[in-house]
Amino acid sequence: MKAGLTTSVVLHAALLGIGLVTFSAPDPLPPAPESLPVSIIPVEDVAQHDQGDEKAALKERAAPLPTERPDVVADAQKVGENSVDTEAPVTPEAKPRPVETAAAPPPQPKPVEKPKEQEALKPVAEPEPVPATEAAPTPAAKQPVKPDPVKEEPKPQPQPVKQPEPKPAPEPEQQTAAIDPEMTKPDAISEAIDAQPPVEESVALPTSAPAPESRPRPAEAQTAKAPQRKASEKPAKEAASKPKSDSSEESVEDKIATLLNKEKPSGGGAKRSTDAAALGGKKKTGEKLTNSEMGALSDQLGRCWAIPAGAEGGEGMRVSVRFNVSASGKLEGRPEILSSSGNRPFDESAVRAVQKCDRDGLVLPAGKADIWSEVIVNFDPTEMGM
Amino acid sequence: MESTALAEPGVQLSIWHLFWQAGWVVKLVMIGLLFASVWTWAIIVDKVVAYQRMRSSLNRFEQVFWSGQSLEELYRGLSDRATTGMSSIFVAAMREWKKSFEKGAKSPLGLQTRIDKAMDLALTREMERLEGRLGFLATIGSAGPFIGLFGTVVGIMTSFQAIAGSKSTSLAVVAPGIAEALLATAIGLLAAIPAVIAYNKLSSDAGKIAVRMEGFADEFSAILSRQIDEKVAQKG
Repeated sequence: MKAGLTTSVVLHAALLGIGLVTFSAPDPLPPAPESLPVSIIPVEDVAQHDQGDEKAALKERAAPLPTERPDVVADAQKVGENSVDTEAPVTPEAKPRPVETAAAPPPQPKPVEKPKEQEALKPVAEPEPVPATEAAPTPAAKQPVKPDPVKEEPKPQPQPVKQPEPKPAPEPEQQTAAIDPEMTKPDAISEAIDAQPPVEESVALPTSAPAPESRPRPAEAQTAKAPQRKASEKPAKEAASKPKSDSSEESVEDKIATLLNKEKPSGGGAKRSTDAAALGGKKKTGEKLTNSEMGALSDQLGRCWAIPAGAEGGEGMRVSVRFNVSASGKLEGRPEILSSSGNRPFDESAVRAVQKCDRDGLVLPAGKADIWSEVIVNFDPTEMGM
Repeated sequence: MESTALAEPGVQLSIWHLFWQAGWVVKLVMIGLLFASVWTWAIIVDKVVAYQRMRSSLNRFEQVFWSGQSLEELYRGLSDRATTGMSSIFVAAMREWKKSFEKGAKSPLGLQTRIDKAMDLALTREMERLEGRLGFLATIGSAGPFIGLFGTVVGIMTSFQAIAGSKSTSLAVVAPGIAEALLATAIGLLAAIPAVIAYNKLSSDAGKIAVRMEGFADEFSAILSRQIDEKVAQKG
């Protein structure tokens, strides 16, 4: 036995020794290529077009018109220079400012005393050919002053009808003739805005006016917009070689002008684009909700859903509800039942669930407002975590 | 997916490092299996040598026994030294024969039985010596893989726990632990396979030797029985 044991130990030791030398670290495999994350994209993402410019040349990736200002609104949906996200199409001259509608001055108790020139002048003013001013439902007395191509927000002026507007007849015509070419050019206006300083001038003007001075001037109440209008008006009047004595008429115009909204229409949203414009549609239509986003929506609605008593165990109870969501993520209108479950309380509970979730605040994935606009959800107790 | 180098420079994959990096349970299993393997081979070597010797001694004895030599002489030659195999059966039978006749046993009738018993006893003793420790080979042959598997399972378990801790599923993290664990199974198989083969071979060899010795015992029993009958006839 001793011989056997010795032989065995020697044999093992020899084997181990050979093993340690021969079977040491095997050659490492050649480094495998880096594994790439693969995600499955529905074909609609590629086949359906992306947001872009409808007139630009075709490129590999659609892109809307580039913008210049840095991004100020997070998660904006619509491309544009705006600081608010609006649905309106992009306008080239758009001011990157929100549209401020000039608040009409509170109706002032007007002095009733009128100068009689008004009566005399009125018939002259009325037959005046004034195109494109019908928008303002202003009293007739005011109409002559209105021909202003710039105004985009015609406002019903809460001014009393009895406002005295002493105007010589030829002047409004001249004025419209003079103003029109200039006013249609927005550049001239903006330049004039920049160049024009004084409000004081307009304050000084009405001193010689026969108009009642007791009326508060809207020019003071208005902010920086008053001088803009005046700036364009001033050269026009000078060109017409208007005598200074017409200051009363000018002051009325001033007043009206200050009431008008001088803002340029600013279209487009607040999303910034840096790519060169390329062919594409107005909206993204190729996007779909991912499964997890669908699941998130389903969870939210499921939490809001209170199944009416007696309908919990109903097998195959299922109601399909369609609702619209605005870009700001709020429910629009009442959810509509597409396919009823046959149980009216059950259907109504689904509608209520959508409305309740809307009140609580639906959390929607950012950047997909276009596909969120219409959502169809199947309410099924077995599938919605009930 | 983060990219991890396939074989980090710190990770050694030689057998020694695999052993050294393993957990203590796996180490214990490996060491145990290594000792079992050593013992298995010791038994194998011992048995092979012993059976070889036994076969040659059987051959020599049969040669001498059937050479026509007187049984008395043969007994005298063998009785004073250690005997193995057939010679020990022969000596046991002759001793019983001698005792019965030299001490004047009156009845020869029980003599045959006593001689058979003595020869059976000697045969059993011889076979026990031949087949001793073969059971260990059988045990290692059947249990070795299981012991190794146990080490592997424990090793993989700890390996997976480490993966769970490191929060990485990279193969580079998994592989060393599993290689370590599999070493235990490899050692188990390394011990078990020779044990199974050797057990089958040695037990069949032992069976052959036993058959030869039983045949001799029967033959010798027949010879002695004939002699007893002759002696009874002479006396009668």
